[in-house]
Amino acid sequence: MDILEKTEKTETIGKDFLLWLWFKSETRGGIFEIDDGLSAEILIDGKITLETDEIQDSVTCSCANPLMKEARFALMGNKRITKAAIKLTINEEDEFFFRLDSRWMNFRLLKTPKVIQDLKGDPEGFFYEKTGLIERAVTVMDSVFMDFIRIRLSPDWESSELPALKEWIRNWNRPLPA
Amino acid sequence: MGLLRGSASFSRYIVNGTPPEGYLDEYAQNITRYSFRGFDEYSDEDRSTGWVNIMNIFDASFDQKLFHIYPYLSLSLRVDTRKVPSSALKQHCLEAEHRIMVTENLDYMSKERRREIKEMTLSQLLKRAIPRTNTYDMIWNIKSSVLIFGSVSSRTCDEFAELFLKTFDLNLSPLFPYSLAAMGLSREGINTDRLDSIRPFDINGDSDGHT
Repeated sequence: MDILEKTEKTETIGKDFLLWLWFKSETRGGIFEIDDGLSAEILIDGKITLETDEIQDSVTCSCANPLMKEARFALMGNKRITKAAIKLTINEEDEFFFRLDSRWMNFRLLKTPKVIQDLKGDPEGFFYEKTGLIERAVTVMDSVFMDFIRIRLSPDWESSELPALKEWIRNWNRPLPA
Repeated sequence: MGLLRGSASFSRYIVNGTPPEGYLDEYAQNITRYSFRGFDEYSDEDRSTGWVNIMNIFDASFDQKLFHIYPYLSLSLRVDTRKVPSSALKQHCLEAEHRIMVTENLDYMSKERRREIKEMTLSQLLKRAIPRTNTYDMIWNIKSSVLIFGSVSSRTCDEFAELFLKTFDLNLSPLFPYSLAAMGLSREGINTDRLDSIRPFDINGDSDGHT
């Protein structure tokens, strides 16, 4: 199987991850504990796109509507999240904005916090700082992704995580638990 | 696209293998060999690619300290493309055909001859076309073997992987959810076959998303 076939065949992993991220961002305040004492807040920030495998049909919803009613209906109609705009805050200070896609999990339009070093005055310092910021965002997202994979493969997925996720989708119009 | 300036869109790869002993000298030579040269005045190609300095796209001379900031090796892939608008090509072909028919006193021009005129006209117009420049940054963390490349277009990524192989004699494996998960599980000593059991689940039904 070549890479393109493999990405297509296993895209459900990326789709489930984006859905789980949205679920966690609403039910757990989007807070994730990362290794090395880091904490991260991940929120859906902007648009999400949902598509089906079978027919070329997509829905794009904006989080300007806090309940994203249309997105939840689309999920119940068997559509899955294929693109999501995300805001990541690390240790309550560094904010990153980007989009993730389900097939490649490529980062798109990543905006990092402002780089303090001056590109002309200290190009090496600038390079280290900017590269460090990009790597930081990637490392945190990879860590959260692996949290998801561990849950997805564990018995907890079937016994508690998936039922809670389904409940959250179906009961979108009920107030969220405190 | 730039990784260092503005917002960045990028693909990720794992570099298979490690650089050889004393790799900097060898790499400097190879990077220079595959550096960006642009179109020469006689070229009628529509695409020219090669490495440039990540800090300055007009600089294609490679001093080690320009591309090696340990543990990173960073470069930009510069891609210049030239295009002739189809309406301009059509107009110039018609003019050339008319000129030849008058000069050679022809009543009819064969399909083959028209094709030759089109090729010649395209070649002449391409030499006059102003190239469009795009650059795509690459940052390779030699310590972790992870590489990020500033494009998500499959054509550009394929072109990049090919040039990377020629330059560094190392293959790239793209990272995507399955491969990322497999890498993480292997690190934890967990059998990666379990990933193959993940199936889409039905939100409205009782399916749990496993086989």
